[in-house]
Amino acid sequence: MSTLAADRLPPSDDQAGTDAVLRVAGVAVKFGGVNALTDVTLTAKHGQITGLIGPNGAGKTTLFNVITGLQEPTKGRVFIDGRDVGSLSPHKRARLGMARTFQRLEVFGSLTAYENVLAAAEFHKSWSDDDTPPRRIAREVIKRVGLGSVAQSRVDALPTGLARLVELGRALATRPKLLLLDEVGSGLNHDETEALGELLVSLARDGISVLLVEHDMELVMAVCDVIHVLDFGRIICTGTPAEVQRDPHVQAAYLGADTTAEATR
Amino acid sequence: MSEFVSFTVVGLVTGCIYALIGTGLVVTYTTTGIFNFAHGAVGMFSAFAFWQLWQGWHVNAVISFVLALFVIAPALGLIVERLLMRPLHGAPPDVLIVVALGLLLALVGAAQLIWDPNTFRRLPQFFNGSGFPLGGVRVSWHQVIAVVATAVAAILIALLFKRTRLGIAMRAAVDSPALLAMAGGRPTLVQQSSWALSSSLAALAGILIAPIFQFNVILLTLLVVDGYAAAIIGRLRSLPIAIAGAIGIGLGQNYIIEFASGSGGFLSRIYNILPMVVLFLALIVLPQDRLRTASFAGTVPPRVASLRSSLIGGLVLVAVAFIVSAHLSIANLKIGANGFAFALILLSLVLLTGYGGMVSGGQMAFVGLGATMMGHLGHGGSLVGVVAAVALSAAVGAAVALPTLKMRGLYLALATFAFATVMDQAVFNQILGSGGSIRVDRLRIPGIPTTSDRAFFVVTATVFALAAIGLLALRRGPFGRRLVAVNDSPAACATLGVNVNWTKLIAFTASAGIAGLGGVLLGGVPRSASAIDFAALLSLVMLLIARVGGINTATGALFGAFSYAVYQGYSPHLPHLLQNAYLLTGLAAISVGRDPNGFGGRVAQVAERLRPNRTQSENPDVPPQATGPAAVFLEEEAGLVHAGS
Repeated sequence: MSTLAADRLPPSDDQAGTDAVLRVAGVAVKFGGVNALTDVTLTAKHGQITGLIGPNGAGKTTLFNVITGLQEPTKGRVFIDGRDVGSLSPHKRARLGMARTFQRLEVFGSLTAYENVLAAAEFHKSWSDDDTPPRRIAREVIKRVGLGSVAQSRVDALPTGLARLVELGRALATRPKLLLLDEVGSGLNHDETEALGELLVSLARDGISVLLVEHDMELVMAVCDVIHVLDFGRIICTGTPAEVQRDPHVQAAYLGADTTAEATR
Repeated sequence: MSEFVSFTVVGLVTGCIYALIGTGLVVTYTTTGIFNFAHGAVGMFSAFAFWQLWQGWHVNAVISFVLALFVIAPALGLIVERLLMRPLHGAPPDVLIVVALGLLLALVGAAQLIWDPNTFRRLPQFFNGSGFPLGGVRVSWHQVIAVVATAVAAILIALLFKRTRLGIAMRAAVDSPALLAMAGGRPTLVQQSSWALSSSLAALAGILIAPIFQFNVILLTLLVVDGYAAAIIGRLRSLPIAIAGAIGIGLGQNYIIEFASGSGGFLSRIYNILPMVVLFLALIVLPQDRLRTASFAGTVPPRVASLRSSLIGGLVLVAVAFIVSAHLSIANLKIGANGFAFALILLSLVLLTGYGGMVSGGQMAFVGLGATMMGHLGHGGSLVGVVAAVALSAAVGAAVALPTLKMRGLYLALATFAFATVMDQAVFNQILGSGGSIRVDRLRIPGIPTTSDRAFFVVTATVFALAAIGLLALRRGPFGRRLVAVNDSPAACATLGVNVNWTKLIAFTASAGIAGLGGVLLGGVPRSASAIDFAALLSLVMLLIARVGGINTATGALFGAFSYAVYQGYSPHLPHLLQNAYLLTGLAAISVGRDPNGFGGRVAQVAERLRPNRTQSENPDVPPQATGPAAVFLEEEAGLVHAGS
């Protein structure tokens, strides 16, 4: 699996590249006296998988909430395709081509898996000029994320792992160019995780920019082009998987002495 | 000048009583997390108990007062806590609302049964209203007692919360009874104390306010409900702000009277509705929770009927109505037509509450608008009147929805109930006249006889069937999926590009329009409409029978509506104990209304079992979040709490 990232284009050139689909600049969030995020700056590029890792409570989900507009930052800006989206409501940001999944499930529990994806495809149709019939998109997506066997089951009756895949499918049905995945792989077994890795790589190959929050280090190290490490609300390290694994700060803060790092569960 | 002083005194007294009411609500909310909608009825009931002791059985006034305040009211609170609220710990918010509203109606009904509303009663002021002159105006001892009692109660409660172990435990109890128990506290005792305490406060308010205004079960209940605004101004947490707000409202009401003394008419009407207007505005202005996470609580709504089965169902319904109509008496035809009209009204709640998750406590206001408009423009049953009625209801619905879109659950129920109360008192009672009525002609379709009792019965059945078929088609289509999705997870919808507020606005507008059409039919049955048909409490009745019938199916709407209409038609023949609709609705809501699928859900379940080859999983249990480590979970919780407060 460790070869997955290698056989893919485009090789990461430089930070200031114009191909940044997402740019987060100096974002800070304070909850009362607690600094949930401090001066977070990162980019996610076209056709790349960008990892965002860090111990529990580091602020990963808060950052996702800031990017998608669910949480107003105390400071800092968010750019999508170079456009400052600070003043846009969540649904307007989504219409720029961004979709996400949630670490705490936010499925449409009273709909079936297929209807979840179909609803998202219909949302997409209502605000884009894409004429593809929503039902076709939904069928394709269901197949692609491998939910065929549970497509007609109500989602609140699905195991967590599958429900996360429903969220992934739902996000994909809006045909995003930027995909934010919040622990989409947790609750999956080894084989399913491997399939997920391959799916993510194929999505990136299609040109989607993926920002991946994940605890499964094997998966992260295998698929990510760049990894940002978040600790106590700060980015403490940015680099390729190999660089991150070598970084002493990261080892101290997160991975422990063992660089082949298991997930922290 | 002396007039100003006297208005100030009266305003201060009213404000103090509102403050007592608000304080009681804050006490239960801060300790149990429950907004006790039934608070008003508790105050009313205790005041009647006081009247019974003092005036009915001629017990000494002081003893009666002490008994009412320190025995009867706390006992009532304890019973409510033990039987209703304690078993609900951790229940979904909709169940809490249903039970609290059910309790309100049940208490109103019980009081009407015990104290026949047709008998005139008066609750005298303390010391028979005697008083003393002060600064050129006369101040009664009753007024003095009201102000002093409020001040004492406020100080005692502040001390209780800040200084005593019990008070601190009370504040801890709301966040986590389990943690409190681990720390050696006794959450049960704490919650019992707070229910007893808030009941006493409600009783005190009821006893003080009843002699100043009218002593009537429903009016007194609504008077106490007027005090809810104060609690909302204090954001259900801050006693000082709640008390200040209460006094502000009391003074404002009375200064308006002073202004209005010259102008008459309009301004003096504001006096009655001011607290409710303030309540509505406070709910709007209050910072609301940001997009909340999903709250699906393991309830599985029934399958949505397919186009084929809803068409067949509608056709069968109309055919049966047609055949049966030949054999029904005129009285029964009217009961049946009422049933279909109510069913249409409940259908509007299926759309709004069942699918969209928005709880409306004011649906009768839209019904009333529809009926009134039909009365004004629908002479001879013209379609113009019908269209105007639906359009007006929908437009007002949109206007109400706009500022209330962000509210959820109980807050929306409160705001819409406040709206219905204002409509009831300031619009219907004015336009239709208190006790008066206007003529509402039956819908006439050229070429088809529609206005005889028999024909109108079939017409109402047809309108309901068409509306139900349309609603089910809507639910199966993109908009239905969108609405259900917005209810299941607004946050997910927003991040998928859905304009959540716009979706809710459309649903609210459509629902109000359907309710308006219901009003056209409802007014057509007796060919008249009067204010009492759209009384604010009836909105709560509608919500609860919708819930009991099944708030997410057309079958449920039909069942709930017919139970109500038949009961209404035959209740004069029933034994006295069964004659009160409020009591029965309330009790039904408390007992069976907890299941959101209601009767309609049971029918759907049976139908599901009869279907061959369906192996759809009905297990509502979501497997526990096996992976997300607890610390991350807590981080998220903290984020929500901080951002929300």
